[in-house]
Amino acid sequence: MRTYVAKRLLLIVPTLLGVASLVFVIMRVIPGDVTLLILGGDQAGRIDPAQIVALKRRLGIDQPLLVQFWTWLWGVLRFDFGTSLWTGRPVVEELLIRLPLSLELAFAATMVSVLIAIPFGMLSAVRQDTWVDYLIRVISIGGLAIPSFWVGILVILFLVLWFGWGPPLEFTPPWVDPWANFQQMVWPVATVGYRYAAVTTRMTRSTLLEVLREDYIRTAWAKGLRERAIVIRHALKNAMLPVITLIGTEFAFLIGGLVVTETVFTLNGIGRFVVDAVAHRDYPVVQALVFLIAFGFVIVNLLVDLTYAWFDPRIRYR
Amino acid sequence: MATNYALTHAEASAALAPRLTFGEEVVKFIRTKPLGAAGALIILGMMGVAVLAEALAPYDPYLGDYGLQFARPSADHWFGTDEFGRDVLSRVMYGARIALFVGFTASLAGCTLGALLGVVSAYYGGKVDLLLERLMDILLAFPQLILALAIASILGPAVQNVVIAISIPIIPRAARVVRASALSVKENAYVEAVRALGASHPRVILQHLVPNVMAPYIIMLTAQLGGAILAEAALSYLGLGTAEPTPSWGLMLSGSAPSYAEKAPWIALFPGIAISLGVFGFNLFGDSLRDALDPKLRKA
Amino acid sequence: MASRIRRRGTLITIVASVALVTASVAASPAAVQAAETGRRGGVLLALIGADPPSLDPHQESTFANLQLVAPLYGTLLQLDPYDYPKIIGDVATEWKVAPDGLSYTFKIRQGIRFHDGSPLTAADLKATYDKIVFPPAGVLSIRKNAYTAVASVEAPDPSTLVFKLKFPSASLLANLASPWNVIYPKKYLDKDPNYFKTNVMGSGPFKFKSYTRGATFEGERNPDYFVKDRPYLDGYKFFISPETSVRAAAIRSGRAYIEFRDLPNAEVEAIKKQLGDKVVIQTTPMTGQFGIAINNTAKPFNDVRVRKALTLGLDRYTAGRVLYGITGLKLVGGLMRPGSEWALPDVDLQRLPGFWKDAEKSRAEAKRLLAEAGYPNGLKVVLKNRNVKLPYQDFAVFAIQEWRKIGIEVEHRPLETAAWFNDGQNTGNFELIIAPTVEYMDEPDQFLGRYVTGSTQNWGRYSDPRLDDLFSRQARALDHAERQKLVGELQKLVLENVYYMPGLWWMRNVVHWAKVKNYVAPPSHYTNQKLQDVWLAED
Repeated sequence: MRTYVAKRLLLIVPTLLGVASLVFVIMRVIPGDVTLLILGGDQAGRIDPAQIVALKRRLGIDQPLLVQFWTWLWGVLRFDFGTSLWTGRPVVEELLIRLPLSLELAFAATMVSVLIAIPFGMLSAVRQDTWVDYLIRVISIGGLAIPSFWVGILVILFLVLWFGWGPPLEFTPPWVDPWANFQQMVWPVATVGYRYAAVTTRMTRSTLLEVLREDYIRTAWAKGLRERAIVIRHALKNAMLPVITLIGTEFAFLIGGLVVTETVFTLNGIGRFVVDAVAHRDYPVVQALVFLIAFGFVIVNLLVDLTYAWFDPRIRYR
Repeated sequence: MATNYALTHAEASAALAPRLTFGEEVVKFIRTKPLGAAGALIILGMMGVAVLAEALAPYDPYLGDYGLQFARPSADHWFGTDEFGRDVLSRVMYGARIALFVGFTASLAGCTLGALLGVVSAYYGGKVDLLLERLMDILLAFPQLILALAIASILGPAVQNVVIAISIPIIPRAARVVRASALSVKENAYVEAVRALGASHPRVILQHLVPNVMAPYIIMLTAQLGGAILAEAALSYLGLGTAEPTPSWGLMLSGSAPSYAEKAPWIALFPGIAISLGVFGFNLFGDSLRDALDPKLRKA
Repeated sequence: MASRIRRRGTLITIVASVALVTASVAASPAAVQAAETGRRGGVLLALIGADPPSLDPHQESTFANLQLVAPLYGTLLQLDPYDYPKIIGDVATEWKVAPDGLSYTFKIRQGIRFHDGSPLTAADLKATYDKIVFPPAGVLSIRKNAYTAVASVEAPDPSTLVFKLKFPSASLLANLASPWNVIYPKKYLDKDPNYFKTNVMGSGPFKFKSYTRGATFEGERNPDYFVKDRPYLDGYKFFISPETSVRAAAIRSGRAYIEFRDLPNAEVEAIKKQLGDKVVIQTTPMTGQFGIAINNTAKPFNDVRVRKALTLGLDRYTAGRVLYGITGLKLVGGLMRPGSEWALPDVDLQRLPGFWKDAEKSRAEAKRLLAEAGYPNGLKVVLKNRNVKLPYQDFAVFAIQEWRKIGIEVEHRPLETAAWFNDGQNTGNFELIIAPTVEYMDEPDQFLGRYVTGSTQNWGRYSDPRLDDLFSRQARALDHAERQKLVGELQKLVLENVYYMPGLWWMRNVVHWAKVKNYVAPPSHYTNQKLQDVWLAED
């Protein structure tokens, strides 16, 4: 086990290098010049070519690509992600402002979804093809099927139309004012959590169904064990593998990918920030954020894989 | 080759029960899995509409009647008209084409490629596994939307580019899940037995691993199919998907549709329902199909 | 059913007219002076749809910058908020123009202090305008080209500022009233001319409090402001929210009191329906229009007949009707705002291609021209656009539908803002592209400079020496009537040759709660943002 952990940690390096290169390449390949954006504003501006050159030099983007890549990489190793081409502030600073919100949203949504999904998934599997199963499946598919941004906007519209009330426009961390935080976060967490729960419920149901048909489960039935013991003690552990994979995969997404939710609920989170940065070709920000998300993702993956090994001793790694 | 695989599960149980004809299978499916049948009906309906849009749609989806902007649903316009006076029903019908095209192509391409990579990775293990896993990890590390966004930015808004942009993030996700499943299967004793009996690698993969990972593959396929339709909607919402005046459901939901939600809710309501229905149908059907197909899940 | 729609349409027209009349009444100086005296206190909660790239108005041209920082700074001159387009002083108390028009002398009010306590003198003004007119290497000044007439800026004593010109300029005062020309303290400019991209040090009615990108921007009252008893507000706070319907919902729920740029008519109707008298809607014509730039160097657009056909194919009068409810684009006009002193009279306008009242006749002529130019079966074109719905996409949808009627098939390509700039401005890599012209006031230099050969805003890349000549003559024409004549000729020349196709001029809706008093929405979303006279009737 220990060698496995060590090997996995070592393998993180090429992965992250690969991500860094890919993101760097993509950002440079996308058409659009950041200098024009900075100089141009939101409608045609009067731009002097000399000013473009000057700006490029100041931002450091007139260097050859390889040099820029190496400079950036070197900085990363020292935890210096550079400064935003757009705001002039260090990327790390910009990130730290938004991290609490995104983390809270991701954790809360995951919590909500796991607390809903696993019990209901189990129920649905154990009572397959009964009305309980049907009901749960319909509700969970419903959660998947409705476009999330649409739900968000409808929620806000509904609140405004019927109660004349809207959620607060500013983020207050829960340790500062829990009630204000709740008022703002409950809606996006519910929206995201519902969707996420739907996906996880279905996955739980299907993997549990498979496991319940396994021979060793049949043996347990034959031995006369009670249903609850069978399901929880034997079946669930093995069914959890793909489910945990899913949760792990999606968690990284939750941190950086909730662009539309953040837009609709006026949340100053990482997702919107990254999309903004892509739109503005703010290379350092996009590179840093994607890199950090990848890093977090890799760590989560490692934990997931370790959990695999704990749950299912049959899985060997060479 | 004289080698005998008669002792595998599927063939054993098949030897005991009589084979049904396809028609009888369908009837059995409808009887035992009504939800799945409902899903199939929805899908067939959508496909029918998509194929026959020219014949079914009462109006040209691109032509606006300037005198009739924001018209309520009525006998003339069942779903009302939108902000330009275009018939919403016709636009929803033509929208089915794009939704299905994007959904099918992106999901099929992404899942199949991903599943193959996952199975190969699990089966061969060792260096192959390591390399593929790294590649998948790299792709996976990008949040789905960001990757799709970046690709759409590079390629430009057009239907085929949307398909590419959506299918690429699907590959590693399918690979990962299928690989996990394949790993479990691989450890089963009977696979080792089959290898011991001298089966070649591709044979083992195709005849033994693949059928047993069909369950997660199909789940992935149907889930991603719906997801692909939704991704197209999200990309259009962000302005990177299909372009106006194309009648795509995602486009109809984006932009100022929320602004019209009170004045003319039908503009966004019907495309929203269409998307939800489509995704709903695919998932219902996929679930039940998986239940029915998976030999281990067959109810006796 | 049709009658119900017509009745509702009538109702909307009535509401809009009442709003317009109310707004124009409120805008008159007499009405404002008769208003109740301002109440001290309260924080104005406002909404804005985007973040600024930086905090330095000298280097930006987006409303997202100016609306946030304008209250923090002073300017030499300003547009009178209650009497557009009159120019009044801000830190300047009076000014004299030499008879030959080559020298402008300003008297600067004494006793104004920057927020750090240091006094504002003509030296700071000189440093500021040196940066704008003669930027040092590596420093950006977006509006530099507006000041080509300026030879030098001098500050002979702390209360006097002198502009010496190379040739007379009809627009200098208007340019000096630009809301973008905020005054910086010389000592910071000397240290680092780019200091103000990320820092604020002004002399305005409010002091900078905080800025969290993507979230909020706050300013607080400047107790030492040079105008006595101003500002009324204790502070202001902008919430940054890119989604239009979310901003509208925020106003409806009272989380914010005002949105300064524009809300679509559908949202405005809904807000009015829900809040009734609690909300005020100011609908003003805007100094901006949406049109289409043509790449005059690409085949077949180098043929004037094809260009004429394109503009004839657009029924602008119907467009105004159809698009107003959706987008706010309404008025048909030439290159200068209809209703302003520079607009082409209708009788002249309606003789130009694309502006004929008879749409059928226009379309027939368009088809004839296309056939004559060698395209009897129509034409395939690519229209590039920005991927913002309002009003870019909506305008394009209309144009596409119109051109179908004369046999032109359009492939619509929305681009991300970055790519849209790149293709349009920098590389000219387009056939047709949606290109608005928006300025902060109706000043011919600002609007017409783009038709000159080699101008960086000359997206269509055409060159007509007659245009260049007309432009430089009108820029120097100090006689108003003479200038109007030249401006009219310039417009006719551009429109006859269809170097650029103007579309429709914009009407915007500024929505705010009735408790926000004494804010008059100007014709552009760049001006009257100092919030100096605004007060809240209740918190």
